[in-house]
Amino acid sequence: MDSVIEAEQLTKSYGKSRGIEDLTLSVRKGEIFGFLGPNGAGKTTTIRTLLDLLHPTSGSATIFGLDSRRDSIAIRARTGNLPGDFAFEDRVTGHQLLRLFANLRGMSDLGSAADLADRFKADLSKPLRELSRGNRQKIGLIQALFHEPDLLILDEPTGGLDPLMQEEFLTVVAEHRDRGATVFLSSHDLAEVERICDRVGIIRAGRLAAVESVSEMREHAYRDVVVRFAEPVSLADFEALPEIEQIVVSDDTLSFRSLGGLDAAIKAIASHSVIDIEIKRPTLEELFLTYYDGSGDRS
Amino acid sequence: MSLTGGSETMRAKPVAQPPTAWHSLGTVVRSGLRSERFAPLTWGLSLGATCALIAAMWPSVSGPIQKAIQSYPSGIKQAFGITELNSVEQYVDAEMLSLVVPLAMAYFAVRCSTRLIVGAEERGYLDSLLSLPLSRRVLVAGSLIVTAIVLLEILAVCWAMTWVAGTVAGTDISARILAEGFGNVWPLSMAFAGLAILLAGILHHPSTVTAIAAGTLVAMYVVDLVGKISPELKPYRIVSAFKYYGSAVQNGINLSHILALVAISAVLSAVGALLFDRRDIR
Repeated sequence: MDSVIEAEQLTKSYGKSRGIEDLTLSVRKGEIFGFLGPNGAGKTTTIRTLLDLLHPTSGSATIFGLDSRRDSIAIRARTGNLPGDFAFEDRVTGHQLLRLFANLRGMSDLGSAADLADRFKADLSKPLRELSRGNRQKIGLIQALFHEPDLLILDEPTGGLDPLMQEEFLTVVAEHRDRGATVFLSSHDLAEVERICDRVGIIRAGRLAAVESVSEMREHAYRDVVVRFAEPVSLADFEALPEIEQIVVSDDTLSFRSLGGLDAAIKAIASHSVIDIEIKRPTLEELFLTYYDGSGDRS
Repeated sequence: MSLTGGSETMRAKPVAQPPTAWHSLGTVVRSGLRSERFAPLTWGLSLGATCALIAAMWPSVSGPIQKAIQSYPSGIKQAFGITELNSVEQYVDAEMLSLVVPLAMAYFAVRCSTRLIVGAEERGYLDSLLSLPLSRRVLVAGSLIVTAIVLLEILAVCWAMTWVAGTVAGTDISARILAEGFGNVWPLSMAFAGLAILLAGILHHPSTVTAIAAGTLVAMYVVDLVGKISPELKPYRIVSAFKYYGSAVQNGINLSHILALVAISAVLSAVGALLFDRRDIR
């Protein structure tokens, strides 16, 4: 079995509202699969349908070759899930929560919880109500990871974590992948997905827009460059540069969009006296426009 | 170790198996009892203190009360099931067990039985629970068992406080009759727990579930009350759980009525569990 998750024309609608439509997706064993999309695109609906929290309107999904509806409990025994907005009873401490979850998983101990708590600097002794959002999220991460699941499903996992903890999280997830686990990571953070994922699925308005490797996605990820020089420059100096479009020169300012490497452009720019340079990566929405035109058709 | 790249050699690891349903049920019940550990104190002490006060007052009010009862219109006596009021048990029954305790306990049962279902759903942690290898039916069964046990604990506290107060006040209060009176509240409350679970199988908000269940509770009480007074409305009492509740203090325990209420609770809960299994979690 090469695929851990297989969704076949999975559709979930809420009355007249859209959830996900005809989502066909395959996540390979041992990969970190990034699931990218803006808020409301259908990322959480997809995850909750895979976990049998929502029942599909049509289509089907298998996880580990098991039916996501009929064999949901066997699937969840092998899965760790961090919901988008992790919560539990306020008065319960992290330690009590993990003990309950370990019991419900049939574990005889707390698995790797102590090690994870140490790495995430999580306080397991305080009731959840006394923890900040970031610290609650750490408990959520630990409960998703402590039983060393074969499949990790993480919905916006780094929300509320400080940069150091985000870094530690990425390391822990990579370690899980290295030991053979599959990771399904939903995010709207392009940089995070780029850093850690092997392949990326892009969902927009409930439909899967594209599935490609991170290197392929990087090719779509153009950069907008604005350079201010010490004196006026000529358009002719930059017109012939490769993989550049939308080039505009206005007095002492040059702006263009780079579709590939910046080496030639930087060399051309360096032959002038530069005051300021700004390189901007596309937002997710802007990136989606490179996949789709306004009508939703592939351009 | 790199953050990106392909998978490395996988470690041979046994496939995690879900625990048995009995194991999960035991865990849910233990966890639920821990969460509700203060309920016998908060609910039991407050209701028990009121019942104890009523029992302790009996020696000073028994004379005037019996005179007053004789002057009540027969319809009123019939409606409230007062045939005679010449013992402390009957006084506690009339003051507390005919209305206050059953309504309070049924309300508690509604809240307790749905705490891990719609309560958890509204607070946003049902997703976390149901991401574990835990079936929804086990969650429902566990909630019902926790409700049954905690109700018994609360009623036991009420019974004990009332009996102690009555004994200290020298009322010759009967522990057995009192136990029948308080024990009779349990199946009635469980029937409403079943109704709440049925509603939780369809609805998503605890406030809506509680409102409908509590409304039904009050409506059934009124139907039973009016049915006792009006011969025309008497046939409608059959739909009221209070008809089967009756008065164990005055008439003794009616085993068939208890079994009927418990059966209703079980059937409503089973249907609720099936509906909960089939619905989306919000």
